[in-house]
Amino acid sequence: MKTMNKTGVGAAIDRVEGHLKVTGKATYASEFPIENKVYAQGINSTIAKGTITSIDTTEAEKAAGVLAVITHKNAEKLNDFKKDRYQISTDTIAPVLQSNKVHYYGEYVGVVVAETFEQAQYAARLVKIEYSKANDPKIHFGKERGNAFFPAEDSDYSRGDMEKGLAEADEVVEQTYITPIEHHHPMELHAVIAEWNNGKVTAYASQQMLEDATIAISDTFQIPQKDVRVVAAYVGGGFGSKLNVERHVTLAVMAAKKVGRPVQVTVTRTQMFTNTGLRQKNEQTMKIGAKQDGTLTALSHDTLSHTSPNLVYQEPCGMVSKMLYNSPNAKVTERLMPMNLQTPFAMRAPGEATGSFALESAMDEMAWKLKMDPLEFRIKNDTQTDLHKNRPFSSRLLVECLRIGAEKFGWKNRKDQPRTNTKGNWLIGYGVSAASRNSPYLKTHAKVLLELVEDRVEATMQMDATDIGTGTYTIVAQTAAEYLGIPVEQVKVELGDSNFPVTPGSGGSWGAASYCNGARAACENAVKKLKDNRSIPEDKEVALAELLKQNQLTKFEMTGMAEPSTEFEKHSVFSFGANFAEVWVDKDTGMWKIERMVNVGAAGKILNPKTAYGQIIGGLTMGAGMAIAEKTDVEPNFGNFITRSFADYHVPVNLDMANIDVIFLPEEDKIANKMGIKGIGELGITSVAASLSNAIFNATGKRMRELPITPEKLIEAPLEPGVQEV
Amino acid sequence: MRPFTYTNAKNTQEALQQTTATTHYLAGGTNLVDLMKEDVERPDQLVDVNNLEFNKIEKNQSGGWSLGAMLNNSDTANHPDIRKNYPLLSMAMLSAATAQIRNMATNGGNLMQRTRCPYFFETSMPCNKREPGSGCGAIDGMNAVHAIFGYSKECIATHPSDMCVALAAMGAEVEVQKPDGSSRRIPFSEFHRLPGDRPEKDTNLEKGELITQIHLSTPQFSDNYYYLKIRERSSYAFALISVAAGLSIQNGMISRVGLAMGGVAHKPWKLSEAEEFLKGKKATTENFEKAAELAMKDAKPFEKNKYKVEMGTKAVVRALQQAINRTA
Amino acid sequence: MKDLDKWKAKVEADDFTDDEKKVFDEMGLKGSSRRTFLKQVSVASMSLWATSYFTNDLFASTMEDLPEEARVLLNEVKVNLRVNEMSKPLNIDSRMSLLDALRERLALTGTKKGCDHGQCGACTVMIDGKRKLSCLTLAATCDDKEITTVEGLAKDGKLHPMQEAFVKHDGYQCGYCTPGQVCSSVALLEEAKNGEASYLTEDLSTIKKDLKLSEAEIRERMSGNICRCGAYNNIVQAFKEVHSGDSEMPTWEFATQEQMENAKNA
Repeated sequence: MKTMNKTGVGAAIDRVEGHLKVTGKATYASEFPIENKVYAQGINSTIAKGTITSIDTTEAEKAAGVLAVITHKNAEKLNDFKKDRYQISTDTIAPVLQSNKVHYYGEYVGVVVAETFEQAQYAARLVKIEYSKANDPKIHFGKERGNAFFPAEDSDYSRGDMEKGLAEADEVVEQTYITPIEHHHPMELHAVIAEWNNGKVTAYASQQMLEDATIAISDTFQIPQKDVRVVAAYVGGGFGSKLNVERHVTLAVMAAKKVGRPVQVTVTRTQMFTNTGLRQKNEQTMKIGAKQDGTLTALSHDTLSHTSPNLVYQEPCGMVSKMLYNSPNAKVTERLMPMNLQTPFAMRAPGEATGSFALESAMDEMAWKLKMDPLEFRIKNDTQTDLHKNRPFSSRLLVECLRIGAEKFGWKNRKDQPRTNTKGNWLIGYGVSAASRNSPYLKTHAKVLLELVEDRVEATMQMDATDIGTGTYTIVAQTAAEYLGIPVEQVKVELGDSNFPVTPGSGGSWGAASYCNGARAACENAVKKLKDNRSIPEDKEVALAELLKQNQLTKFEMTGMAEPSTEFEKHSVFSFGANFAEVWVDKDTGMWKIERMVNVGAAGKILNPKTAYGQIIGGLTMGAGMAIAEKTDVEPNFGNFITRSFADYHVPVNLDMANIDVIFLPEEDKIANKMGIKGIGELGITSVAASLSNAIFNATGKRMRELPITPEKLIEAPLEPGVQEV
Repeated sequence: MRPFTYTNAKNTQEALQQTTATTHYLAGGTNLVDLMKEDVERPDQLVDVNNLEFNKIEKNQSGGWSLGAMLNNSDTANHPDIRKNYPLLSMAMLSAATAQIRNMATNGGNLMQRTRCPYFFETSMPCNKREPGSGCGAIDGMNAVHAIFGYSKECIATHPSDMCVALAAMGAEVEVQKPDGSSRRIPFSEFHRLPGDRPEKDTNLEKGELITQIHLSTPQFSDNYYYLKIRERSSYAFALISVAAGLSIQNGMISRVGLAMGGVAHKPWKLSEAEEFLKGKKATTENFEKAAELAMKDAKPFEKNKYKVEMGTKAVVRALQQAINRTA
Repeated sequence: MKDLDKWKAKVEADDFTDDEKKVFDEMGLKGSSRRTFLKQVSVASMSLWATSYFTNDLFASTMEDLPEEARVLLNEVKVNLRVNEMSKPLNIDSRMSLLDALRERLALTGTKKGCDHGQCGACTVMIDGKRKLSCLTLAATCDDKEITTVEGLAKDGKLHPMQEAFVKHDGYQCGYCTPGQVCSSVALLEEAKNGEASYLTEDLSTIKKDLKLSEAEIRERMSGNICRCGAYNNIVQAFKEVHSGDSEMPTWEFATQEQMENAKNA
């Protein structure tokens, strides 16, 4: 970095868009004042599998304000999936209403368009649909084991010899861990306003990845990509559910075409259970072998999950087990069962969030068996080489995370024996877990526009990036301030329009590294060009305003692009962390609470500690949600989600959380990228549930292997062998 | 939501006169409007009763206080006379929902709350309460939050209110006005009903009757009270099981006791046998445990709510202990 | 559009409060471009979106200038909505929630729809001074009631202290639950002053005014506003600052070089 800049990279400044958010002026998808707008409401199937035998739309069409009712009978023909078991990704098409087949309960089977929201909602209930129900819907996880398939080439992995490793072990832990179906549930309901103009469509939509969204929409409707524009100035949370284009977007685009007016669709909270993705249920079987001194000899991680009947999404739960610990012998498998449920899709830290619950619980169980401090057991099995890819880590400060966290937390005060640390009716426990999260970095473009206003430079950054709460506006502004040498107040950031230069969008923890390096490249290019024009040496410091003046320019624009280096490709790039938790469990009622948490993260250069802290505590909160109550249940006789509202699906509330200390390790990972940035958005959620579950074990002597850990489960759980009822 | 006409009643007479067979009275709307959006409630007329005169708390002739049906839950729970004289009621009310909802929800409306059974909410599922004759989806389905007492084969839903559990423990009378202008008083224990073969009926109110007041007798349990609410998260969740416990201690003996449980039956579940057992006994954990056993002895859980028996037992003991610990 | 003229004059004279400047800046209307922007727009060409910014009070909305929509409505109810000290008579469908009336008819989109069923708190507004859920409130029942939304909290071009505290303590991430959190926090200040109790209040019988709420009490009383991004701790910190002047809470720190060395060599 060239200059010390009080508002540049690394400064804990307030969010640059903060005033808009606290005054209600930030504009989310359904809030663009599009004139002449009408409202559409999707209709959902009420069977899990079968065919629609008749649809009667007469009454709905006659209802006040109704402009159109679209079903598979009159829907326009869209591009559809050409083969079964199609592997979906973030730019996959989103066809809807293309046949009379029903694949799961809650699938869209129609849409009603009306003048007002109330009219559309009501008329949607007036459409009468009859079904022929198939008698073999696949709705029971337990009954589909025989149909499990091998989803992809890299679904199986092994190194060394598991059998040999287990034979060498003094102790073996073999346990199965279950994580339920979970839902992302960003606070902003998925929404879109679609507007056609001369054969071109604009979608104001809550999407995380705009370039991919334009691809998905254009492929779905078979129109050129240049005729699709997606605007997402502010996105009210995503957590993965807004990565891809979901079918409500298609419904809106289709309906807008049909009625010749802009159409708004706001997905209901109940529809967000069935139509905007989910984290699938995972059954993870761990087998760990270790010697009495704590040396790991074997580690296997077998995952069974589900996908939809026709599409494939696989969450790589076993990823953490491939690279986190120094086990010479390891095996990872992933299997999927087709079920009549909607297709799962990435939810915050797909793989790590769930996989780490299994791995870090099993590690804790082994430490208990070995009578070893679980912290030391983890440290003993640290590795500086990625044994999976057989290459070095760009940087790995896991041991530092664990030790520094232990010191801050007061780990030494932990009682080895469960049920011995008590206060009144409370049993108190400490838990620890290690975290790792892949830290990708992707090709990113950016544009900078400079304007000389009186004697100062005002800069505008443009990228099709999104800010889903992650702080993109702020960190891009700080990056521009840093590399242009101007205060952040003179930088304006424009995001969320697919007409801007292409970025990878927000997802997979690549946002900060990719966006900022892209912005950096544009700014560096601009300065370089202005210097080159005047033959000023690159290392000579000249204020930007002066440079523009010397170039006799009042306006200047420049683009830039950043992408991974060959060094990046030669290394494994991960962020690392450690979680510590103190929980209090009521000895009788099964109610428990988090008393405090400590999180340590080694995630490269921290661009803004204030927003980075937000990312971490946000991850911790969602991780706490996994442990406390988050769970979507499938009704065993009908196949619908019986948890269908925010009153049934309990995400954490304010009182569920407690004080959190976050420690960042000072690190700049220059192999990762020029600015030394690694991802932090998903690190925070990783292994949180395990740290809490491990703390609950330390408190109660009960090992909770199925999430969430509700009072009813805690009441019924037995004590682990070796635990004394005190 | 289905179309309906909206009328704002200026006084009780006007409200009562306007009622028809498919009218609903609209008070706070926190439950009714939600259920209308879900298409579970389908009135074709709403008569807004928010502006009626029954919006205060006043002393009554029996030495107690009367709660206006149209007064909201926040103002009721926070009223100095209620906090001082019926803190068990305040505590139960404050455990419910959130500040925003308590600011809207009324006392009358709280009594009229409908079950949170998910089969009741989802119109594509069978539910005898919502659609008589369609069956009970929960009985062989997801019944983790369902009843363990007093259910029928037609319905195993529970009543969701916290306020009502405290009222059941304390005892009260509900005053209602009939469309003809006359009024009657219903003992609180007879206000809600068990499902039997008419699960669509939650209460013994007759068509068109309007709740106007809830009468409380002399102050109760102002020293020894506790409302224990066990739920899946620390706040903003309905109870898995709740217990309202109130005790009066004289000369070291329990002279008066109020005990009721929520989340276990179609109505707030008064634990009469346990109450009887405790009267005249010492407030010891041993006695509390015996009372809890009596309270739970007739519990008959389903596949997924077996935990409620043990949880209920522990909850009764804990609520009584907490009530005692207030002054201990 | 008289408000617009007022704003043009203010721009020419560069007569803005700091908070007004900030909001303009964040909208992307900076310095000279503020002037350019306003010169380019005419009443006719101004979109509704822009209109809502240029009102006699930047932080409120100009409801008088909204078009009266002619739509086929069933069970029409006439209601006079008084929002943020402005007043607008509307003909609405009896089914319309206050939330939809604000967002879809008054262009006051600050109030958010997070669930539409009273289960998240994103739609929290103040009605006659009390925080309530606009999604479960029928607009028809609000005739002549005093409604305050997030757009009405700032006064005289200056943010409410709670809004400032949310910015300072990063009491948000995606920002969608924020208006509800802010409204709820502002109402809670009053509730604490009035001595209102919560489920966590130790002794209900003793009634005190001007409560100083503990962290747990703040959390319980703010639990009606769900934040899926998980900014709860920062929200508590923001509230504490305004409530008691004390915003002390654990947040973040960097490990020192000494800590790093010790950890490595342990």
